[in-house]
Amino acid sequence: MASQLLPLELIDKCVGSKIWVVMKGDKEFSGTLLGFDDYVNMVLEDVTEFDYSGNHTKLSKILLNGNNICMLIPGGEGPVAAAS
Amino acid sequence: MAEVDDGASAPVSEPLDLVRLCLDEIVFVKLRGDRELKGRLHAYDSHCNLVLGDVEETVYVVEEDEDEEEVVKTIHKKSEMLFVRGDSVVLISPQAPS
Amino acid sequence: MENGTAAQGEGRDPSGFLSEIIGSQVTVKLNSGVVYKGELQSVDGYMNIALEKTEEHINGVKKRTYGDAFVRGNNVMYISAD
Repeated sequence: MASQLLPLELIDKCVGSKIWVVMKGDKEFSGTLLGFDDYVNMVLEDVTEFDYSGNHTKLSKILLNGNNICMLIPGGEGPVAAAS
Repeated sequence: MAEVDDGASAPVSEPLDLVRLCLDEIVFVKLRGDRELKGRLHAYDSHCNLVLGDVEETVYVVEEDEDEEEVVKTIHKKSEMLFVRGDSVVLISPQAPS
Repeated sequence: MENGTAAQGEGRDPSGFLSEIIGSQVTVKLNSGVVYKGELQSVDGYMNIALEKTEEHINGVKKRTYGDAFVRGNNVMYISAD
């Protein structure tokens, strides 16, 4: 039986490093993951918010509601870095 | 020494306390779907289900005029008493907004 | 990765962050895109929020101000410390 890595354990491994968050809608965030809870509400630092229109907004520290999160990409710098 | 509250600026320990303080007062409620209500708050619960009296409802609708330009139309409705299901509530504020 | 001391540990997980920013100026963004800026009075487990001296911004334009405002948590996308 191969040892499993539970999804929340993977997120726990990301604490302290950059993470790319893709929301259910057409919004994305990238930032340093400081912490999260069982609902995957997340505290992020040095955040960039990416709009559907290509705008980005810098935010110093946020609590992101876990409700509308679709996907988490460890180490991700966001859609701009991914595209280049 | 305990801090002395002067009542008016008493801190609310949880967000719904703010709604409790609005009981029997006129409140402004913003709902999903570009709707707003103004009326007297008779009752509320933890889901934000509300009972409002003497309510004025404002609905904002976007319509196209002859030149196919979008214009925002407001519709006003009045009701003596109404029930609001909590899941459509976005914001509740004690006073009329300025 | 540094391991947080007690001081650094403050505000790391969601509840710690919330207690850290109570009383300070915050930006609350809703899923609809509407933004509320004000002083954070309190938050609960549903992310219901009570704000003081609140400004409402729609499409980046300041629309209204409220003395106090209660925002229902299910509409909240994020709370940002200003």
